[in-house]
Amino acid sequence: MAELNAVEIRHVSKIFGFGEFAFAAVDDTSVSIRQNEFFTLLGPSGCGKTTLLRLIAGFEYPTSGEIMLNGEDIAAMPPFKRPINTVFQSYALFPHMTVAENIGFGLTMLGKPKQEIRDRVDAMLKLVRMEALAGRRTSQISGGQQQRVALARALAPQPKVLLLDEPLSALDYKLRKDMQIELKRLQAETGITFIFVTHDQEEALTMSDRIAVMSSGKILQVGNPREIYDAPADRFVADFIGETNFLKGRISAMNGGIADVDTAVAGRISATVPLDFQASGEVTVVLRPEHATLCPPNQPAACQMTGTLENVVYFGTDTHYHVRLSDGETLFTLREQNKPLQSARFGQGDTVGIALEANAARVLRN
Amino acid sequence: MTGVAGTIEAEKSRDIRKRWLLSLPALLIILIAATGPLLIVLVYSFLTPGPYGDVQWLPSPDGWISVVMEKDIFDGTFSLADAHVSIFIRSVVLSLATTVLTLLVGFPTAYFIATRPEKTRELWLFLITIPFWTNLLIRTFAILEIIRNEGLINGLMLKFGLISKPVQMLFTDGAILTGMAYVYLPLMVLPLYASMEKLDFRLVEAGYDLYATPFKVLRKIIIPLVKPGVVAGSILVFIPALGAYVTPSILGGGKNLMLGNLIELQFGQGRNWPLGSALSITLMLIVMVALLVYVRNAGSQGSRHG
Repeated sequence: MAELNAVEIRHVSKIFGFGEFAFAAVDDTSVSIRQNEFFTLLGPSGCGKTTLLRLIAGFEYPTSGEIMLNGEDIAAMPPFKRPINTVFQSYALFPHMTVAENIGFGLTMLGKPKQEIRDRVDAMLKLVRMEALAGRRTSQISGGQQQRVALARALAPQPKVLLLDEPLSALDYKLRKDMQIELKRLQAETGITFIFVTHDQEEALTMSDRIAVMSSGKILQVGNPREIYDAPADRFVADFIGETNFLKGRISAMNGGIADVDTAVAGRISATVPLDFQASGEVTVVLRPEHATLCPPNQPAACQMTGTLENVVYFGTDTHYHVRLSDGETLFTLREQNKPLQSARFGQGDTVGIALEANAARVLRN
Repeated sequence: MTGVAGTIEAEKSRDIRKRWLLSLPALLIILIAATGPLLIVLVYSFLTPGPYGDVQWLPSPDGWISVVMEKDIFDGTFSLADAHVSIFIRSVVLSLATTVLTLLVGFPTAYFIATRPEKTRELWLFLITIPFWTNLLIRTFAILEIIRNEGLINGLMLKFGLISKPVQMLFTDGAILTGMAYVYLPLMVLPLYASMEKLDFRLVEAGYDLYATPFKVLRKIIIPLVKPGVVAGSILVFIPALGAYVTPSILGGGKNLMLGNLIELQFGQGRNWPLGSALSITLMLIVMVALLVYVRNAGSQGSRHG
C-alpha cells in the first residue's frame, strides 16, 4: 500500500447560517495532502481557504464530509485532541506569559516532564534563533520576533501537521522575504507537513511543493507551482496567478497537441491544448505578459499584433506595457526585462507591434 | 537658545498654575465634602455620649474601648464584647461569601455576554442594569416576600407536599447572603464584562490548539487575562457588602446584625454616638486593610503572569 496521505479531505462542506442566508464557505471539497509536503491553499479573501484550515485545526466542524489525518477520521475530534498545531495570522501569543512559557505551553498541557519541556523549549528557541529573548514578554518583542515565537510554539509539540494562516501578511516586504526562506528551512529541518494559507500568489509560487487554488469554497486546481502557472486549468486560475492576457478565437486545425487558432486581433496563432481536453470551435487563448515583446509596427513579418501603447509602468526589474489592440477593445499587457543603460524604446501613444514567443499561447479549458 | 527654553519653561509653569486655579473649586469641594465629615466622626469618637444622643464635649476613650471591650456595670472590669466581635466576624465572612458567590454567578454571566454577537451585547447589558431602576428597599422586600414562611417558595413547596411545615429561610445568614449577592451582582458583572470584552478570543483558540482542555483554557488563559476585572468586581462588591445596612436589617430581621446595623443602632436607640463613630472608623480601617492585602496579592501575581 502506498504511504498514507497526511491529510485527506473528502467531500467536506461547511455551511454557515440557515435557510435563505445559508452560505457554503467550503463546498463539497476533496483534496489529499501528502506526507512532509509544503502545501498551499491559495485564493482571494472569502474563498474558503481559512475556513478549510479551521476545519482541519478543529475550530469548526464540517457540515458534511470526512477529514482524515494519517488515515484516521478526525472530523468530530475537538482541537485539543488533534496532533495539529496552528500559526495564527495575528500570532495569538499569550500576553501574560514569557516567550519561553509560550513555546512550552503545548508541552505543558500535554503533561510532559519538566526537564523534557525545558530541553524542547531550548531547542525550539535555537531553531528560530530566539535564545536571547527567552525571558521577554511577548509585548516586548518585534513583529518578526513574535512571528518566530508563534512558529516555535506551534512546532514545539511536534505536531503531525502544521497549519499556517497567512502568517506573513503582517510583516513588511523585506522581513516577509526573510521569513519565507526561514519557513522553508524549518519545514525541511522538521519534516513536518505544512499547510499554508495565503492570498499572495507570489508567496505561494516560491514556497510550495504543491498549490491548491480556491474560489467560492471550491478547489479549482491542485498542482505544483509550475503546473499552476504554466498550465492553469481555467480562466479564474489563469487570472488569479500572475497577469494574463485572454484572446478569443476559433480553432481551424489540430496537429497533435497544437491547435491553430484564428483570432480577430492576432490572426492565426498556434496554441498548446491541455492533454485531456477536446478543443473545438470557439476557445480562449491565454498569453503570459512575459512571453511577448514590443516590436516596431513597420515589420509585419515579426509582429503578430498591432496596437496603441496606452501606459508604460516602470517596475525596476522590468517595465510593463499596456497596449490597446487594433480591435479597440482588448487591453494587452506585456512585460520586458530592463537592460542596463537602455532607455524606453516606445512612449505613450505610440503605435507598436507585439511579437509572441513560440509556444507561448495556450488554449484554456472552458 | 536658553531664552527660548526659558520662555517655554515659563509658559509651562504658567499653564500648570492656571490649571490648578481652575480646578481649585472642585478640589475644595472634594476636600471639604470628603474629609470634613470624616474629621467630625473622628473627633466624635473621642467624646462622651450625651443623654439623648449627640455628644458632650468631654474627651473620653470609652467609645473606642467599647468597640471590642465591655465594661461590667457592677465592678467596672473589662471583658471582650462577644456580641461586637461576632458581628465583626459575621460581617467579614458574609461579605467574603457574597463576593465569592457573585463571582461564581457573575463570571459565566459576563462570559456569556462577552461572547454574544456585538449587536445583542448591549441588550444583555441593559438587562443586567434593570434592577438598578427599582429602589433597593423595594427589591429587598420582594426577596422577603419570596422567602418568608408564608412566601412563594414555602407556599409552593407546601402545596406540592414537598414539606409539611414552612422552612425558616428568612432572618438567617443565608437570607442575608442571598439578598446581598442579588443586590451586588451587577457590580461584579459589569467590570468583569468590561475586561472580558477586551479578551482576544483567538487566544482561547490558540489554547485549544495547544492541547489545553476547556477547563485548562479557563484557568491558564481566560482567568489570568481577565484578572483586572475580577479584582475590580471583587472590590466593588466587598466594600459596600461590608457596610451593608438595608439588606441585613430587613432579611436578617435585627437578629443577625452586620456592622452597618450595629453602627445605626449606636446613632439611634443606643444613643452612643462616640461608639458609633469609632465603629465607623473601624469599618473603614477593615476595608482599607482588606483592600491593601488583596490588591497587593493580586498585583504581585499579576506581575508574574500578566
